[in-house]
Order: sequence, then C-alpha cells, then structure tokens
Amino acid sequence: MADSIYSICNLGILDTLSENSIHEIVESYEGFCAANETLLNGAGDLSVGPQLVSNAHSLCKHGLESLLRDHFLGALEKTFEKNGALKFWRHFEDVSIGEEVFYNALEEISLEKQYQEKCLLMLVHALQTYNQRGSHDSDAISVELFAKYQLSVSSVLMATLPRKFPEILNWYFKGRLEELSTIMAGDRPPRDDEDEDDDRDDMELDEKWKVSYRSGQMEIDECYPQGRFFDNSKLVNNIGRVVHDLRSLGFTSMTEDAYASAIFLFLKAKVHDLAGDDYRISVLESIKGWIQAVPLQFLHALLAYLGDSISYESASSGLKSPLAKCPASFYPGIDTPSEGLVRWQLRLEYFAYETLQDLRIAKLFEIIVDYPDSSPAIEDLKQCLEYTGQHSKLVESFISALQYRLLTAGASTNDILHQYVSTIKALRTIDPAGVFLEAVGEPIRDYLRGRKDTIKCIVTMLTDGTGANPNVSGNTGDSLLEELNRDEESQENIAPEDDFHTDDKQAWINASRWEPDPVEADPLKGSRNRRKVDILGMIVGIIGSQDQLVNEYRVMLAEKLLNKSDYDIDSEIRTLELLKIHFGENSMQKCEIMLNDLIGSKRTNTNIKATIAQPSHTDAGSELGDNRVSMDIIDATIISSNFWPPIQEESLIVPGPIDQLLSDYAKRFNEIKTPRKLLWKKNLGTVKLELQFEDREMQFMVAPVHAAIIMQFQDQKSWTSKDLAAAIGVPIDILNRRINFWISKGILSESLGEDTDNHMFTLMEGMIDTGKNTANDGNCEDLIVGDEEGESSVASVEDQLRKEMTVYEKFILGMLTNFGSMALDRIHNTLKMFCIADPTYDKTLQQLQSFLSGLVSEEKLELRDGMYFLKK
Amino acid sequence: MASVNQDNIPGATGTAPAKKSQAPAKTADSQSVLKRLQSELMALMMGGDSGISAFPEEDNIFCWKGTINGSKDTVFEGTQYKLSLSFPNDYPFKPPKVKFETLCFHPNVDVRGHICLDILQDKWSSAYDVRTILLSIQSLLGEPNTSSPLNPQAAQLWGNQEDYRKMVEKLYKSPNA
Repeated sequence: MADSIYSICNLGILDTLSENSIHEIVESYEGFCAANETLLNGAGDLSVGPQLVSNAHSLCKHGLESLLRDHFLGALEKTFEKNGALKFWRHFEDVSIGEEVFYNALEEISLEKQYQEKCLLMLVHALQTYNQRGSHDSDAISVELFAKYQLSVSSVLMATLPRKFPEILNWYFKGRLEELSTIMAGDRPPRDDEDEDDDRDDMELDEKWKVSYRSGQMEIDECYPQGRFFDNSKLVNNIGRVVHDLRSLGFTSMTEDAYASAIFLFLKAKVHDLAGDDYRISVLESIKGWIQAVPLQFLHALLAYLGDSISYESASSGLKSPLAKCPASFYPGIDTPSEGLVRWQLRLEYFAYETLQDLRIAKLFEIIVDYPDSSPAIEDLKQCLEYTGQHSKLVESFISALQYRLLTAGASTNDILHQYVSTIKALRTIDPAGVFLEAVGEPIRDYLRGRKDTIKCIVTMLTDGTGANPNVSGNTGDSLLEELNRDEESQENIAPEDDFHTDDKQAWINASRWEPDPVEADPLKGSRNRRKVDILGMIVGIIGSQDQLVNEYRVMLAEKLLNKSDYDIDSEIRTLELLKIHFGENSMQKCEIMLNDLIGSKRTNTNIKATIAQPSHTDAGSELGDNRVSMDIIDATIISSNFWPPIQEESLIVPGPIDQLLSDYAKRFNEIKTPRKLLWKKNLGTVKLELQFEDREMQFMVAPVHAAIIMQFQDQKSWTSKDLAAAIGVPIDILNRRINFWISKGILSESLGEDTDNHMFTLMEGMIDTGKNTANDGNCEDLIVGDEEGESSVASVEDQLRKEMTVYEKFILGMLTNFGSMALDRIHNTLKMFCIADPTYDKTLQQLQSFLSGLVSEEKLELRDGMYFLKK
Repeated sequence: MASVNQDNIPGATGTAPAKKSQAPAKTADSQSVLKRLQSELMALMMGGDSGISAFPEEDNIFCWKGTINGSKDTVFEGTQYKLSLSFPNDYPFKPPKVKFETLCFHPNVDVRGHICLDILQDKWSSAYDVRTILLSIQSLLGEPNTSSPLNPQAAQLWGNQEDYRKMVEKLYKSPNA
C-alpha cells in the first residue's frame, strides 16, 4: 500500500516526509477506505460521512487528492457492477417480462444509482470544503467527478449488456405507443356527444392544426397546451420516467433508437392501415392528422418531461439525435416551437410520405386502371413525391408492372390503349412536365407499334364517342373524342403563343417563366417545350406519323359514309372539325371532300329526283308490271373517287328495272352536271327489300349482291349455281359465298345437282321448317345485315399497304435481277430514287428490312453476308 | 429481218408513246426525259414480262442494266445475258446505246458486245421503249440476221444448230457465277 503512495508522490516530497506524516497518511487512507466501504455497502447509512470527510481532508493535506478520487470512483464502479448492474440484468433474464418487472428493475437500479450519487456528493463536499482553503474551483471538481461517474456507470452497463435488451426496449415503447394510440382513438368518438366543452376545444384545436400546417409553422406547442395531455399524463409520465432513467444510465442513444423505431413501425402500420386498397379517398391528410395526434403528442410529452435533463445530456451525447440537440430552453408552455419536436415532425412526415409513396407506387398499376376514380390516390402520390423526390422509383416500378401485366399477348390493344391514356392523364397530374411520362410511355409505345390493330383501335377511339371497348364500362371518360374536345379548347388558348410575332413583352414573360427541366430529364429528348403533354400527340407518337392515322381514319370514314342510307353526317362533320384542329387542314382535306361529297349528294339527289321525267317503261320494265320501280326508292351517294380510298370493285348485274333506273338517274345527272358523268358502283350500298310469300312477308336490309340474287328467284324458283352466277354477273365462288346468307335465313335451300360443283338452289316457298325458324314466325322481320365475313366496301389500309408492297417487291426483284446482289441500304436508296411514282416509296430502313425478311421467308430472296440475292 | 423483230413485239405501240412521238424533239428537256424513263421503269416492273428485266444504276437513271434470258426452244435456252443501256439526253427521240456486257456468241453481236439491230439505229422510233428494246433483243437471239453478221463465225455456224448450241454452252458464263 505504501508503494502506491510513493508512486504518486514526487520524490522531493518523499524526502520531506517525516515518519509521522507517513503514519498519518497510512492511517487516514485506511480510515478513508473503511469509511468508503461502509458507505457504499451500507444500504443508505450515511452516518460514516463525517469520518470519510475528515479522512479525505487529511489525505488531501498530503496532496493525495487524485488518489482519493480514483479510489473512490473505482470503489463506486465495483459496487455498482455488483449491486446495480448484475441485479438489473437478472431481471431481464426471463424470456418474457412484464411491464411491472421492467419498471421495478429500472427503479431499483435508479435508486442504487441515486444512492451512489449521494455518496459521490459527499466526497465532492469533502473536497470542496478542503478546497475552500485552497484556490481550486470547486464547481469544476463536481462536474468532473460526476462526468467520470456517469461514464463508468454506462461503461459497466454496456459491458454487461444482454443482447436482447434493445428488443425489450423496443417492445416496451411499442406497447406504450399502442396504449397511447388507443387512448387517443378512444378519446375521439365520445367528444361528439359527451362533453360539449371538450368538443369545442377539440374543434378549435383541429382548426389550429390546419392553420399551423398551412402556414408551414409547426406550432405544436401552442396547439397543445400542457393541460391537453392531462388524461394521458400518467402514461406519458411513466414513459418519461422510463426514458429519463434509461438516459441517466447511459442508454440515451439506445433508448432513442428504441422509441424511434417503435414510432416508425407504428406509423408504418398506421399508414398501411389507413391507405389500404381504396384509392377513392385521399389519406394523406388523415395520416398527417394522426401523426399530430399520436406520435407527436407522445414525443411532445416526452420532451416536456425530459426538458430539464436534456441540456445536461446534450453535452455528452453530441449531435447524434435531434432529441439530444433539443435546446435547454425548451419548456412546456412557452410558445416558441420546440426545435426537437419540429425535427421529429419532419422526420415522421417524411417517413409517412415515403411509406405511402412506396405503397402507392407498388399499386400504381391498379390505381391507374381505376384512374378517374382513383385520382385522390394519385394526388396523394404527387404530394409524397414532391416531398421525397423519388420519382425514379415510380418509373422503374411502374415500367416493370406494365411489362408484367399489360404488355402481354393476352391484353387487347384497346385495353392497352385505355391504360396508356389513363397513364398519361394520371402521370400528367403527378408530373406536369412529362419527364417521367416519357420514360414510362416508351415501353408502351414500343409495344403498341408491334401490334397490327393499333391504328385501327386509335381511330376507333378517336371517332367513337362511346369508347371503343364496350367491356370497359364507366370508362367512357377515356374516349379520345373527349380529348379532342379538350384539345380544341386548349388550342385556342395556346394559339397566340404559336404566333411568331409575339411581342417583346410576351417573350420576356415567357423567358422569365422558364424553369429548368427536372434533373431526371433525358437531355436527348428535347426541352420541356417540346415535351408538352398532349394525349393526342402521344397517341399519334405511337404510330410514328399522323399520315397513317389520317389514312386509317379516311378508310373508316369512307366505310361509314358508304353505309349510310340517309345523308346525316353531323357527327362525322364534328369529328372531322376536331381532327382538323389537331392535324391541320391540309392532311384532312381528302376527308373533308368526302364529307362534302355527301352533302353534295344530298342536294343533287333531291334535284335529280325532282326534275327527272318519269320514264315510260316501254322496255323490259313495263312488261313486268309490278316490277316497275319509281325513282323515289333510290338515293345515290355521289363520290369524287379520286379523293376516296380505293373502292372494292366487284362486278354485278343488277336486275333490269333497277338497272334502267340507275341509267336514267345517271343520264339526268349528266344533264344537270355536264360534262360530268355518273359511274355506278353497283356492288356498293344497301338495299331494303321486302319478300312477299303466300303466308308472310319479310323485310331485309342487304347488300346489292344479295338483293340481286334473291330477285332472280322471283321468276324462276330454282337455279343452278352456274346459271345464277352468269345471271347476276359474279364469279361462282363469290356467288356461293353470298348465297349462304339466304340459305341461313331459310329462304333458299341448297341441293347437290348432277354436277358436284354446280349446286342447285331452290326457293323455299311458304314451307319454312317451323322448328328451325321459330324466331321467324312473326309476320314481319326486319333484319339488318352488316358486313358479313368482314367484307367491306373500301379497301382497308392493310390491303393498300399490301398493294404498295407488291410494287416494291417488283422493284426489288427487278433490281436484284440486274445487279445480282445488293445490300439493304443500297436497295433502300435505289427504291427511294426510282420508286417515286404512285405510290411513292416512303418506308424507313427498318420497314424495308422487315419486308425483305418477309420475302426471304417466302423464299423469293436469299440473304447472305448482308447481301440480298434472288433465290434461284 | 428487222420487220420480223418488230412483229414479235407484243403490244409495242401503246397510245401514250405514240402521242409523244409527235412532240418536237427540241422541247424534250431533261425533266420530261426523267419522267419518261421513270414511267418506263414502272411499266417494266409492273409488266411482269418473263425473261427480260432492266433497272437503272444506283444514282443515274440514264444508265440502266438489263437482263435477258434466252428464249425457250432456241439454242440460247437457259442462258442469261447482261446488257447495259445508256439513254441520250434527248431520249426517246434518239435510241439508247445498248450493248451486251456478257459475252454473247451471236451473228449480230460482236465480241465487245455491240449489237446490230435496226431499231436501235436507223429504224428507231420514239414509240419504242425499254421493254420493246429488250423484247426485240430477246427475239433477235433466236432469229439472227445472218446476212449482215458482226460475228461471221457465228453466222456460219448458225446453220448447224446442234454445234451452235455446244458453242454457246462452251462460251457461256453465268453472270451470277
């Protein structure tokens, strides 16, 4: 023991030590140690205090102050380890511990610590009293000693920390939060009817929340006077005490982690709970409300409880957590917002935004499927993204959802288009600049380009106000026609901007309104001006050129117009006007001429019918008296065929009287409109006819060829197919196909003649098999025959394309015959150069390549080393 | 002999070329030549005559490459000959220069490929076009004019069709080989 003394003292002092003083030192030291021992293990007995003090004084006199301190602290540490820590941890050895155990354990160890602190205080007191004689700063001693003690306490606890302790903390805070939440939730419903005072109070509070939220200032403290928590104060106080105790034991960061993660987990569960799978309501506000109501109150109370201890803690725990940074000036009731609480609120809100955003992004596909109804969810998502800025997450996740769920062979083109339109609309809300839409739309567009019926579907959507797909009920809002309407309005607004002569002022306004593209924007895709979100533009973008779209529309329009039996084209005119606004007058010119043809037809038709001299039928017509037909039954559609899509030609001999009528009509037309002449397309149009049998009559709307067929049976009950084909002037195979219509109606019957390919058709006069035709029992049947077997009067775009391609094929074969072998781009260039007559070669290299590979697979060409050869 | 060739041209005199022949030669600017050649190309491509074909070279519509297959039942059956056609600026009022690119053993074709055919010289008319020229040459292969030969050896041998066939086969090189 003497060694230790010597080692501390310097040798100079050693020399001056008298025997006496050595003795005194040893004695004092032993006395000190003994007193120390009794004090620490004495379970609250402070009676040895004076003894400790006097011994301490005498030791200090000999300059052994530091020895004194070290010894005392060492003893404290050992005792704490033995009495405090080991006992404390023993409480947590059980797998499951109750709340009570937790409280008890904490209380016990806190008591122990408090007691030790008292002891330490005694030492401090001793040192202070000694130092008053000296010149030492007494406060500094106390601070230093307590810091050392605190350090040793936490290091002892940390060193012996069981692994599951953080879990226990977590569990504890979770339990308390749930409790608090139920109290809060339970707090709410009764206020409607029970306590009016409270009710009003709450309402005010609600308003205040909103006000404070809107103004962006987090004045939670003001909104929540301390009294508001009185109901929960017990719970909160408990929690506060626990946190306080834990802090004083040095578990500051662990505690914070524990309650932070408990809060976050709880918040997450709450967000999931609130958000759910209902996209028709906005949940963001209620989540925010909940954050204010539960976790922030909890934290508020907690911080308030801890208020005074924080300043002390912040010194040691540094900048680790917002709580630790909480300024000491934070006291409940003071109206300045607490920085710590604001931080917490920001953290929680960010977390809530992020959670909700992830949740919504994961379900974005469904949300967009429901689009107009799910706009609240979209609005929520927009706010979340504004806050978190994680748009790229949305893009990635949505693209993969699209590829997995939409862009598959099973999805109909219509559905894809509808989803595309909804996507555009929904993402337009989220991101008006259209940057993310660009990224998301790309895969859809690519996919749609590979589908053959894309153009057709688009045109149908454009022209059909009811939406192209009847299965998508309630989705009529997706109709592009509506979009056309909207476009019309916006175009009018935008129109002045397109003007090149915008004055300087306007230019300056535009310039000052400029905003940079979001960082995610692909610089290759042009600036935001060109990225203006325009649904029609994006739809047309799928096809590549609007010419194709216009062409398809023209074919559809032609089909529609030719099938009209009246001249009512109001809806077509409207659609055309809208399309004109979008695509420009020039590209729609042909369509306009088509519509004008209809209008002109109506006029001319009336004119001709009014002025024609009813011809006296001296020829074949008059002989069949009842077959005479009056001009009234005919309405002609006169078209300028140059501007119409190619019309299917089919020969047809119409019955004599009708033919006579047609030529009379044409003659009159020539008289009126000299030098123009009328050329009938006899296979087009519709015929309304009535078949009279002995026992019934039937009405039909049929194609002219059907009418021609059935009229032949007027005079002759049965025909062979050869004769009939000759009589109406169509090839036998077409006749056989067309006549099926009458056979299926039970009007004609087919029987094998002597010759296998010369069938016999007989009129079923009045002996309809009733079993087969129960539906036809009615005396009159009005049937409208559409274009059966997909026959149409106008050559479809595909047919036109095929025709174009055969021209190209001949050119390609021609050049390969003469040049032997050619590379793709040379073929392309040569076609561009020489295939300039109608139809002009306007395909891209890719289109040509796919066409060529078609020819290769038809074994017309060969491809070797990038060169195309004729297949021999 | 030339008349024989002409008789073999099916539908050689269309109405459109006939009209053009009345136009004065001087006014034929390059634009109308271009147009004429383009429409001839289109007609040729769409016409679908078997055994004859021609196509402009990559960048010049005045230079064409032609291909003629030897007609069936002649000594030239199964052969294919390449030709070059170069059109003058005042086409169709002057005939194009046509010569064989592939060696052709024929009484009216010399070793350098020059062809002796009246419609390509003094009997030219603007009613002719690429298609009729090619058809004429195709029929010339089977029915040479041995009285004024460019290749006397061929003219001599013409009498013996079997030997002639052997000679053709011996000298023939497939242009695509």
